[in-house]
Amino acid sequence: MESTGSSFLDVAALLQASQTRPRTNWFWYVVGLFALVVMGASYFSSQTKESEALVDAGSLLLMLGIGAAMAMMTWRSMKAQRYERQQIESIEETVQLRRWDQAASLLQSVLGQPMRVSVARVQALIFLSAVLARYHRFNDAITVQNYLIERHLLDPASEYGLRLGRAMAMLREDHLVDANQAISEIRRMVGDQLSGGLALIEIYRDIRTGHAAEAVEIFHANLKALREQLSHRVADAYGMVACACDQLGRFDEAAQYFLDATTLTSASELARRYPEIEKLVEKYPAAPVPKEAA
Amino acid sequence: MIPAEAAVSKLQRDLALGALVKGSLLLGAGLVLFVGPIFNWGANGTIVLAGIAIVWILLSHRSARAGRGVMDAPSLIASGRFEDAETLLDSALRAFSVFRTVKLLSVHNLSLLRHAQRRFQDSAVLCRAIQRQKLGGLSGLLRPSRLILADSLLQLGDLHGTYQTLTEVYRQRLSLGEATSLLVLQLDYEWRVGAWSNMLMNLPSKIQLVELMNSSDAAQSQGLLALAAHRANQPELSRWLGRRAELLADPATLIERRAVLAEIFPKVEAPVQS
Repeated sequence: MESTGSSFLDVAALLQASQTRPRTNWFWYVVGLFALVVMGASYFSSQTKESEALVDAGSLLLMLGIGAAMAMMTWRSMKAQRYERQQIESIEETVQLRRWDQAASLLQSVLGQPMRVSVARVQALIFLSAVLARYHRFNDAITVQNYLIERHLLDPASEYGLRLGRAMAMLREDHLVDANQAISEIRRMVGDQLSGGLALIEIYRDIRTGHAAEAVEIFHANLKALREQLSHRVADAYGMVACACDQLGRFDEAAQYFLDATTLTSASELARRYPEIEKLVEKYPAAPVPKEAA
Repeated sequence: MIPAEAAVSKLQRDLALGALVKGSLLLGAGLVLFVGPIFNWGANGTIVLAGIAIVWILLSHRSARAGRGVMDAPSLIASGRFEDAETLLDSALRAFSVFRTVKLLSVHNLSLLRHAQRRFQDSAVLCRAIQRQKLGGLSGLLRPSRLILADSLLQLGDLHGTYQTLTEVYRQRLSLGEATSLLVLQLDYEWRVGAWSNMLMNLPSKIQLVELMNSSDAAQSQGLLALAAHRANQPELSRWLGRRAELLADPATLIERRAVLAEIFPKVEAPVQS
C-alpha cells in the first residue's frame, strides 16, 4: 500500500478546508430580542387601547416563533455535531482495525469541508497523520504533526504521542538531525520516567545509524516499559533488536528475537513497518500461527 | 467521599425537583398562553411569559455549564487524578440542574470513579441506579454502565449477576472499545464457570480484538485463552497463546492476578506479597 494520487489526502487543501467557522453566540442576542419584544409590546399596548389585543397576540406569536426557531437551531446544531462525532469515532475504529483505505476515504470527506468542533478537527488531523505515515507519505505526515504541535492544539498525552510519531517519520525520511532534536524534546517531556515509545524510537535511530550495540542496550534497559506500554506493538521492538543482533553477527539471538516478534505480529506486517526487517524475513523462520487462530 | 447511597437518593430527589420546576414553568407558560386571553391579562401576561422564558434560559445556561464540568471527569479518572474527579463530581451532584442529563452523567461518572478505586460494591449500586432511570437521549450510557456493573459484580464474585448483565450487553450494538472491554469480561467470567469450549469459539476475531487491548488485558486474555486451549487438549494453540501472553507480561504477575494461570506457566511462582 503506497501513496495514492496526489489530490487524494492533499494535506495543504485539507488543513485549509477543515478550518472551523467562528461560531456566533446566539444566547445574548435571543435574550436581547426577548427583552425588546416585551418592551415593545408594553409600549404599544399602553399607547393604543384599540389595538391592545392585536399587539398582545402579535408579541406572543413573535416570542413563540423566537423560541421555536431557537429550539430548531439548537436541535440542528446538536444533530450536526453528533454526526461529526460519529464520523470521528468511525475513523478511529477503522484506524485501529488497520482498514487504512476506508480510514483515508473517511478523512478525505470529513476534512474536506469546514468542521464544527475544533476538538474533533484535531482528532481527525491526528488520524490523518497516522494514515499518511501508513501510506509512507512521511513528509506529509510531518507537515500535519508540525501544524498541530506548533499551534499548541493538543493535550499533553496527545502531544506526546504525536511527537513520537513525528520523530519516527523523520527517521524514516532520514532527517536525522531533526529526528535527534525531536527525540531530545521528547526526552525533556518525559523526564526521568521510562518511556516505551521513546525507547522504540531510539532503538530504531541506532539501527538506522549503524549503532546496533547501543540499540540492544536500550532494548534491555527498557524492556519492562516496552512491554507494559506498547502492548502488541512491542513486536516492533523485538523485530528491531533481532535486526540489531543480526548486524552484530549474533545470529542465534537474532533468530530468537525474530521468532518472538513474529509470535506477536506477522512478519509481513513488521516488514511493512520497517524496511530493515525485510531481509530478516528471508533469513530467519517466523513463528507459525496455529490453524485455529489464523 | 460521597457515599453511593447518598448519591443515589440525591439523584432521585434532584430528578424529581427538576421535573417539578420544568413542569411549573411549562404550566405557567400554558396558563399565560391559553387562559390569559380569556381573562384579558394583556401586557402582564406577556411580561410573565418573558419572565418564564428568561428563567428557563438562565437555568439551561447554568445546567449546561455544570454539564461541561462533568464531561471532564472521565479524563481525570483515566489519568488517575481521583481526588480532582471526586471534587468535580461532588460539586456537580450538589448543584441544582434543570437537565436530567447533568445529574445522570454525574452519577455515571461517579460509578466509573468508584470502579477505578476498586470500590466495586459502591460502583454496582450507582450503576443499578442509573439503569433504573429512563435515559432517553442518554441511552448510549447503558452500554458502558452495564460493562462497569458486570465487572464490579464479577470482582464481587456474583457470577449469576455477571451473566445476566453480560447477556444484556450482548443485545446491544457495541463500539470497538466496548467490544474489547466485553471480551476481557467474558473470558474472565467463562473460565470461572469452566466454559472452555465457548472461550475458543470464533478465535481469530477474539485475537484481533485482543491485539487492540492494553498490555495487561491482552496478556491476561491470551493467558486465559491458552488455559482454555490447554483444557480443550489443543497443546500447540495453548503454547502459542501462552507465549504471546508471556511476551507482553511477566507470568508471575499474571498468576498473581489470576492464580488459575499457574496451570499454563507451571515453572513460575507468583511473587509473595508483603
